[in-house]
Amino acid sequence: MKYVEYLNGIIKREVLKSNNCVLFGQNINAGSCLGGLTRDIKVNKNSKIFNSTNAEYSLTGFGFGLMMNGSHGVFFMKQLDFLLLGIDHIVNTYNIIRNISEKFPEGSFTIVPTVVDSGYDGPQSSFNNFNDLCSIARIKGFTVSNKSEADYLFTNQFLKPGFRIIALSQRLGKNEIILNKPPLNIFGNGELFHYKKGNDVTIVSSNFSYAQAEKLVCFLEKNNIDSSHFNISSGLIEDLSFIINDVAVTKKIILIDDSKSIQTPVDYLLTLLKDVDLEKTIILKRQLNTDWLNPVSDIFEIDESKVLKDLKSK
Amino acid sequence: MKLQNIKEVIRIRLSQLLINEEYKSGSFKIPVHLSFGHEAIAVAVSNTLKTNDKLLLTHRNMAYNLARSSKLKPIIDEYMLNAIGLANARLGSMNLINRDANIIYSSSILGNNFSVSAGISMSDKLEDRQAVTFVLGGDGSMEEGTFYESLVMMKSLELNVVLIIENNEWSLGTHITERRSPINIKKLVDALGIKYIKLKNNNVDNYTNILSDVRTNCLKSNEPVCIEVTLKTLGDRVSPPTSNYPKGKYINYHAGPSTTVDISSDFYGVLLKESSDDPIYILKKAIGDKKFKSITNDIYKQLKSELL
Repeated sequence: MKYVEYLNGIIKREVLKSNNCVLFGQNINAGSCLGGLTRDIKVNKNSKIFNSTNAEYSLTGFGFGLMMNGSHGVFFMKQLDFLLLGIDHIVNTYNIIRNISEKFPEGSFTIVPTVVDSGYDGPQSSFNNFNDLCSIARIKGFTVSNKSEADYLFTNQFLKPGFRIIALSQRLGKNEIILNKPPLNIFGNGELFHYKKGNDVTIVSSNFSYAQAEKLVCFLEKNNIDSSHFNISSGLIEDLSFIINDVAVTKKIILIDDSKSIQTPVDYLLTLLKDVDLEKTIILKRQLNTDWLNPVSDIFEIDESKVLKDLKSK
Repeated sequence: MKLQNIKEVIRIRLSQLLINEEYKSGSFKIPVHLSFGHEAIAVAVSNTLKTNDKLLLTHRNMAYNLARSSKLKPIIDEYMLNAIGLANARLGSMNLINRDANIIYSSSILGNNFSVSAGISMSDKLEDRQAVTFVLGGDGSMEEGTFYESLVMMKSLELNVVLIIENNEWSLGTHITERRSPINIKKLVDALGIKYIKLKNNNVDNYTNILSDVRTNCLKSNEPVCIEVTLKTLGDRVSPPTSNYPKGKYINYHAGPSTTVDISSDFYGVLLKESSDDPIYILKKAIGDKKFKSITNDIYKQLKSELL
């Protein structure tokens, strides 16, 4: 089953569990329904789904208005770039709500944007720095990389009281959903997923680089290197002690992030590791070429053999 | 003119005069936007609200917060950032909210509250609460793109929203004529099929009657309404003469203490302008000097005793 089809199924199921919810966004109930993501969603009697106007700023404010009055708003957004228009609300409007949250009824607002990360869409449709957006006002935001994360985040965050952004990947959307083993641990209500415990090296992925990390874990295993693997779903996570404790055993860390950000969650993690006696630190981030603003491929590839060689070198 | 309306307009004016004195003495660390001249529309809106209705305000929310609150002290305490303030020192002035009094949101970002009001109204509609959402803006906020976007949403979704545009012709220190071409709000909202009503002259009884009808019709028709209120934000001053401005430069009041308004001047300085720009002038003319002074004295004493 494709990533998008799987998410569509979960969304349909979760929406039917809720009352008083409003699902809105451009073409969510028409045409391709956002590539199938919102196809055939049915809502309960006192809920509503509608194709909205093209007004991202105002639609973001609309969602917060629903939340303030005890309803559950969900704004499906075709691409993350459009949310840049709603920044005033996700910063300023949300600041008021969360500062006096006890004064408001328990409503919710969830924005579900798709990160355009498959490339070739041009310079105005390639913003993939999801954690930068969330960092601007310490907004809860989650990336969904695989089946386990989809199951957990859409069950525990979607339509639940409060505000959050759940970001999906366009690149992953075209592929079969990654049917990974259930995580060993989930920390911070879905901010951090621990997938594997190993003794030789700790691998930490963030943004949408889970797939690359999983592939690297397998490659290293074939080369008799036993890895731990953590995936940071939310850059807002502050307690990374679980990773730090793991690194204290392995003494080696590989950090992977496929965004175009200067500062990523793995960079933050690195600052926390300053007191750990590390034997090896490998950082795998994008090296942007001069053509990075052109309509080019957005695939972030890892040379696993090079990583292996690096890992074995002193 | 109804006695209760007269008393309310005077109470709000005197309350602001007392706040202004605290402000001049340096009691507030936060920025405060006085709203001298906004009392009549504030009282009328407050009179119109029913139990389930919601009110969304702007940074210049003082007259409305005073109208919806029978007490002055919690507001002054909030401005002083005392924990016993109206919002427990967590909101200050520009974002002051009082949910118990139906003030659900106040925004210091121009135009930000229009779309929020649409969401609130949609939520009431889903729950069939028979409520109307009143949202305030100014001639500055209606320049923001979200004014148009929100109108389209409200009309398309058949929402019971009353938009009230307080047109004081100024945005910070810039008059409309200095910053843009004229905007005919009536034509703009007409184009969207939204009803337009104009209010002027600061008669609180007239305003209350019209708003009450608007509320009733809004509920019946499930359509937004746009009201433009022309008013003056009083408390202006003239800067000392310079070579460029030999007679001094006119400075419209925007924020901060109003230095030209003085509670120790003639009769608490309660009358700020001898024209219909001042709601006090309108009611004073309606009830006569003697009655006006008697009511004003009584309210002043009540407010002072509250602040003791």
